[in-house]
Amino acid sequence: MKFSNIKNLVLLLTAGLLLGSCKKYLDVNSTPNNPTSVPPSVLLPNTTIGIAFANGNDLNRASSALVQHIAGVANQTASYDVYNFSGAFDNQWNGELYNGAIANSVVLINLDSATSPIYSGIAKLEMAYAFSMVTDVWGDVPYSQAGQGLKFLTPRFDKVQDIYQGNATLGITGLLDLVKSGLADLDKPNNALKPTKDDIVYAGDATKWKRFGNSLLLKFAMQMSNTNAAVAKSTIQSVIDGNNFINANTLDFDVPFGSSVGNQNPIYSFNYVNRPGDQMLSLRFLNLMRSLNDTVRLARLFTKPNGAFTGYDNGTTTAAPAQASRSQYGAYFVGTTGSASLHLLTNYQVNFILAEAALVLGTTGDANAYYQAGIKAHMQKIGMADADITAYFTANPTIVTLAGTTEDKRKQIITQKYISNVGNGIEAWNDYRRTGYPVLALPNNPGGDDPTVIPTRLPYTNGELSNNPNAPNPRPLVNVKLWWAK
Amino acid sequence: MRKLLLLLWGSMLLLPCLLFAQSRNITGKILDPEGKPIANASILVKGTRTGTSSQMDGSFSVNASPNAKALVISAVGWTTQEVDIAGKSTISVSLVASDKTLSEVVVTSLGIVRDKRSLGYATQNLKADQIADKGSVNLINALQGQVAGVNIVGASGSPGASVNINIRGITSFTNNNQPLFVVDGIPISNDVDRTNGGPNGTLGDNQPANRALDIDVNNIESMNILKGPAAAVLYGSRAANGAIIITTKKGGVGGRSEIVAGSSYSQQYAEGLPRVQNQYGQGSTGIYNPISSNSWGPKFGATPSVANGLLVGGQPVAYQAYPNNIKDFFETGTISDNNLSISGGDAKQNFLLSGAYLSQNGILPNTGLKRTIVKFAGNTILRNKIKLGGSITFTNTLQNGILGGNGNSALSNVLGLTRSLDLTSYKTKGTYQNADGTNNYQITGVDNPYYDAYKNPLKSNLYRFLGSVNLGYDVTSWLNVNYRLGVDAYTDRRKQIFAISSARVPAGLDLESSIFRSEVNGDLIVTAHKNGFLHPDLDVTALVGQNINQRVSQTITAQADALAIPGYYQINNGTVFSNGTAESTTKRRLVGYYAQLSLAWKGYLFLELTGRADQTSTLPSNKNTYFYPSVNAGFVFTDALKLNSDVLSYGKVRASIARVGNDAPAYQLQNTYVQGGYGNNVASFNFPYGSIAGFGVSSRIAPTTLSPEFTTAYEVGANLGFWKNRVTLDGAYYNTVSTAQIVNVGVAPSSGYSTRTTNTGKMTNKGVELTLNVTAVQTNRFKWDITGNFTKVVNKVVSLADGITNLSIPGSAFTGSIPSIRVGQPYGVIIGGLIPIDSASGLRIINAGTGVYASTVANQILSNPNPEYSLGVTNTFKYKTFTLGFLFDFVKGGQILSFTAATYKSRGAWEGTAANREKPWILPGVILSGGKYIPNNIEVPAQTYWQAMGGLQSEFNVYDATAVRLRNVSIGYDLPSKLVKAAKLNYVRLSVFANNLWHYAPNAFFDPEVNTQGAGNIRGLDLQGSPNATTVGASLRVSL
Repeated sequence: MKFSNIKNLVLLLTAGLLLGSCKKYLDVNSTPNNPTSVPPSVLLPNTTIGIAFANGNDLNRASSALVQHIAGVANQTASYDVYNFSGAFDNQWNGELYNGAIANSVVLINLDSATSPIYSGIAKLEMAYAFSMVTDVWGDVPYSQAGQGLKFLTPRFDKVQDIYQGNATLGITGLLDLVKSGLADLDKPNNALKPTKDDIVYAGDATKWKRFGNSLLLKFAMQMSNTNAAVAKSTIQSVIDGNNFINANTLDFDVPFGSSVGNQNPIYSFNYVNRPGDQMLSLRFLNLMRSLNDTVRLARLFTKPNGAFTGYDNGTTTAAPAQASRSQYGAYFVGTTGSASLHLLTNYQVNFILAEAALVLGTTGDANAYYQAGIKAHMQKIGMADADITAYFTANPTIVTLAGTTEDKRKQIITQKYISNVGNGIEAWNDYRRTGYPVLALPNNPGGDDPTVIPTRLPYTNGELSNNPNAPNPRPLVNVKLWWAK
Repeated sequence: MRKLLLLLWGSMLLLPCLLFAQSRNITGKILDPEGKPIANASILVKGTRTGTSSQMDGSFSVNASPNAKALVISAVGWTTQEVDIAGKSTISVSLVASDKTLSEVVVTSLGIVRDKRSLGYATQNLKADQIADKGSVNLINALQGQVAGVNIVGASGSPGASVNINIRGITSFTNNNQPLFVVDGIPISNDVDRTNGGPNGTLGDNQPANRALDIDVNNIESMNILKGPAAAVLYGSRAANGAIIITTKKGGVGGRSEIVAGSSYSQQYAEGLPRVQNQYGQGSTGIYNPISSNSWGPKFGATPSVANGLLVGGQPVAYQAYPNNIKDFFETGTISDNNLSISGGDAKQNFLLSGAYLSQNGILPNTGLKRTIVKFAGNTILRNKIKLGGSITFTNTLQNGILGGNGNSALSNVLGLTRSLDLTSYKTKGTYQNADGTNNYQITGVDNPYYDAYKNPLKSNLYRFLGSVNLGYDVTSWLNVNYRLGVDAYTDRRKQIFAISSARVPAGLDLESSIFRSEVNGDLIVTAHKNGFLHPDLDVTALVGQNINQRVSQTITAQADALAIPGYYQINNGTVFSNGTAESTTKRRLVGYYAQLSLAWKGYLFLELTGRADQTSTLPSNKNTYFYPSVNAGFVFTDALKLNSDVLSYGKVRASIARVGNDAPAYQLQNTYVQGGYGNNVASFNFPYGSIAGFGVSSRIAPTTLSPEFTTAYEVGANLGFWKNRVTLDGAYYNTVSTAQIVNVGVAPSSGYSTRTTNTGKMTNKGVELTLNVTAVQTNRFKWDITGNFTKVVNKVVSLADGITNLSIPGSAFTGSIPSIRVGQPYGVIIGGLIPIDSASGLRIINAGTGVYASTVANQILSNPNPEYSLGVTNTFKYKTFTLGFLFDFVKGGQILSFTAATYKSRGAWEGTAANREKPWILPGVILSGGKYIPNNIEVPAQTYWQAMGGLQSEFNVYDATAVRLRNVSIGYDLPSKLVKAAKLNYVRLSVFANNLWHYAPNAFFDPEVNTQGAGNIRGLDLQGSPNATTVGASLRVSL
């Protein structure tokens, strides 16, 4: 090649490269890693697991310690036991609830209201359940503006009463109406898509979802009965009249888990896999069950190593018993290596609600019958032999029969409901704060915001406080009662 | 010599008007003292504008008038010389190397060699002898204490553990803040790839390497550290954090073949372990308990009783101190490093073949590093004058490491080990495991440290390819076109296993990760250079270029959980595959256009303008092009104003303003769905759920629009030489302002999302850096040089987004000690809980019921990892062919939150916990009594006292990291040349070296220079990682 040719070639190539076009070359910014749209069938299992996981994970550990089902031995649970919540619950508020069940319910409702109302109906019920956990635990919380992304980056905090009852002035649809709207969606025909195995609770059976919805109305109504007895009564009465609620153990809203690593229920994976040394049976609960001669049932709920229950006193600093001898959550919460369901809304709870409603609100039905049905339903649910159940009823007539003043009877109902809610600490804590039953003593060495009372709410999480200027500042202390509390 | 130089400059400046006359041709050669040709030297006929440059072989040809008297020969790095040509037609010129530091040649952006004199910005150059033969495996370690303006902290002494380097502070909120590494003109990856295996994820793994580890320290000719963005604007965005320009050794030096063989061997010892007490043994509340992790048991020598647990069944139990049980867990590490290079050719045609093999056994059991590097490089000039060069480097790096971190790692179980437990027998007898391969340990519920070490390792096997091709062509004597193509690609195959029965993953786990990264850079550069352009005193260099860049990464992870067969670690031994199994791919591209104009006036005034426009794939297509300019100037006032004196020999001031734009990470513009999952290391759920898939919205909201982020740096500096440059000072002050940062800023979690991507925020870095060189003594045989440097950076987060005052730094963290970006604070403060303070007394509040501190109040500043300043001082003594050097460095301030310290205290192992153990203790603070706070008077046992201060994230475990350190000592000896020549060798060099030999940290009872997360934006955390290592060794290098 001649010298001058090289020179020209170099100059030409140079010019060409310097001025080359690159629009297509740069068009590589669509992510191959994540989908940008998904069908409802992958969202629904996520929201269902979301509410169940939230119900059974850290909020359950904290509330179970507060109601003294369990006692903390080490790490976080031990802190919760003495009311030290510093820096806790961001994972629950963020990951499990608002960024989990709630954000995905919003998407599910928006995607499917028009084409597949069954999905949006289910999503509304699950979202209502999720929001009820948030407001029952923390009080005033983002609700009407929550979970909507860019539309409300700093959602308003709605009041508990507005969340339960709604507030037309502020444009808030209350939980009761949200459930009713979900029930209406479930009645709509013409679903383009219907859930099948992606509905891990009811396998796509809309009639069962309606029973769940109506039972949710019972739960919400009873929760607000202290402060709005009229609406509570009318709501419960109309559900009773409709006679389409959870009235058998087989209809329970039980969220099943798997036996594989990563699919196990959080009670199992915490207590049996990752943190077996952190918590155990509360000595106080053990004493209660002994006083009620109810240790056969207790043995279904907690383990009995070497044939003996070993509890630990809440908040104590004395040395914990050797791990092998501690009573831990029992077979009912384990299933096959963690496959046990979490029980979010059940026949026994409904029976106790109806018993209490009949007793204090005057709704129809026999309080005592509901009371006994509740006890039996729970005993059956956890797998007690029929003979044992009968034996217990025969041997303990004063326990299984309502007697005394209305308050006495209420105490009996809530105490039994409290026992049946082992493993669902949030519900037990809700009832405790609403009724004051069972009567609980402070733990040893209480601390936190106010060492003189059992906390009536949890402190707002740091993530919300530091990112939402609408959050109450300073935050309410944990001794400030909720709207519906006693 | 200085006077001669000035005379030459002076004579150049006072040239008489040129006379036209008949010309004659003069040819010649420009050589160095060794006879090696010097290319690109400028040859100017004295008193005229006529001139030329020397060729690759040093030859030149120039036309001069018959009465021309002399030629002025100048070249970067060489002293300018005037050569008499009266009556001559051929000449040979031997140039003398110019004074170091002042007229030093440095390699700047894009491999362009520049005279440091002409630069308007700060650089610092390190030569091979400042880096090699010092026992550093990772080249960043070799820089420690030597460079002003640079902060370097290694993760630990674990083999291959990454080393963090920040130049002039941190400028980007959440993107990479490490400098760009460039090897022979090719940007290479210095990424840290983390393996997220098992519970505790990236907080509890072995410390991975930063990939500069794959560079052979012995093969480096020089390293130039370009500190500000001004220096590196031509490399684009990634050089905003400075650049480390590495020039590797070349063949053809001196026009001869050379074989260099080097071999070194060193030993390593764990350094900085806390002192332990040996008075009290295993147990709690003064009672012996054989399954306790604590040393709160009875005093050694106490009379055995049933009450103190030392009398069981009427028999006393064996109970004694094992004073070295922690220390002995750490092993004597070894490093052997052998390398060989063969080079040959001349300036036109040359080659280099080198190979190196390094084998390291770590200070932790079952850890090590094996690194093999083979490189071939060659250059040639074709007959049609096209210059062709290329190099290929293959690297294979094997890294074996073990778990660290809190919650059942070898380290968390051995640090603060109870004083009465003998570990060695577990190792010597192999009894850390049972016959069935399960864990065996006296302390229940946790792993035997040896079990963790031997049964749960992480192995990394990396193959890396680094290739470059260089094509150059001189279109005319003043115009050059150059094309350079570089490829850096590696695949790192990793295997993390957990044996069945491991406390962290009782069901066992096999995690296979394949991490691939590649980067391709094509640079077309057209350079024009003309001395005496438009005016005889004006030298002009202009450059235009184009860069095409593509970066691809892919990580594929397969996780097999719940292993079926013990001891069998293949994916198909798993029974669950749905956790952690994932794939992630990124591809990003960029096209950059850049230009640089450099003007030099009379050799004392320099001005440079640069500009670059980048077009990126990662920003919205209507906003994907952005421009950023820079300007810098240098003024050698001593020359210009003739101020030179015996006291002030040289003086230059310089200033620069540079702006650098930066694009976004890939794939930020779309909202996506992600696979569903809940929980953390204490309980978690991950989809798929059996055969049921679950997806949910991503926690990040995509931006509606996005622009590039910008950093603007202002710098002024001076270079001064005193007493004939026996003392030189290089100083700089800078102010860097970063704005419109692309960050995932926090949103209220109740919005359903955690973050949204947006442009926001402002951060500043102001700093001073000084380098002082003093030749204290210089005689024919003896020379004493002192080099000192000073670094101070003050970082401030000025603003985040509206209403947002705090942002977590992306990465893994424990809730309760979160590295954060907080408005008004320096970058990276750790946010956690503090014990409430009684405002009246300023003392901590103590719970009157328990006598220990009240619950902490969250969301406060726990610690600040940023040091106040740092100093490094190197003393070098040369006597004949002996060289002795030692480097002290001093870091003032900066805090570290130490889980390690917490463990030693709460377990009662630290020596301080033995003092007055049996007496009652009172925590300092106040208690509420009768409605007001009074000084605490509640007595608690020593155990309660120390455990109250021993919570992992407690403010009592924040330590001042101030430390003075003997970083390096080395002695070199070159065999006398007579002897060497007799053996037909070029040189024989013996070195003895020691690294990290001693430290004194007045406020920490451990070595605070550790950083568990290594290279990255998270600093100042010691999460029960490996301690540091002391290295002592010797090396031999022979050239023939």
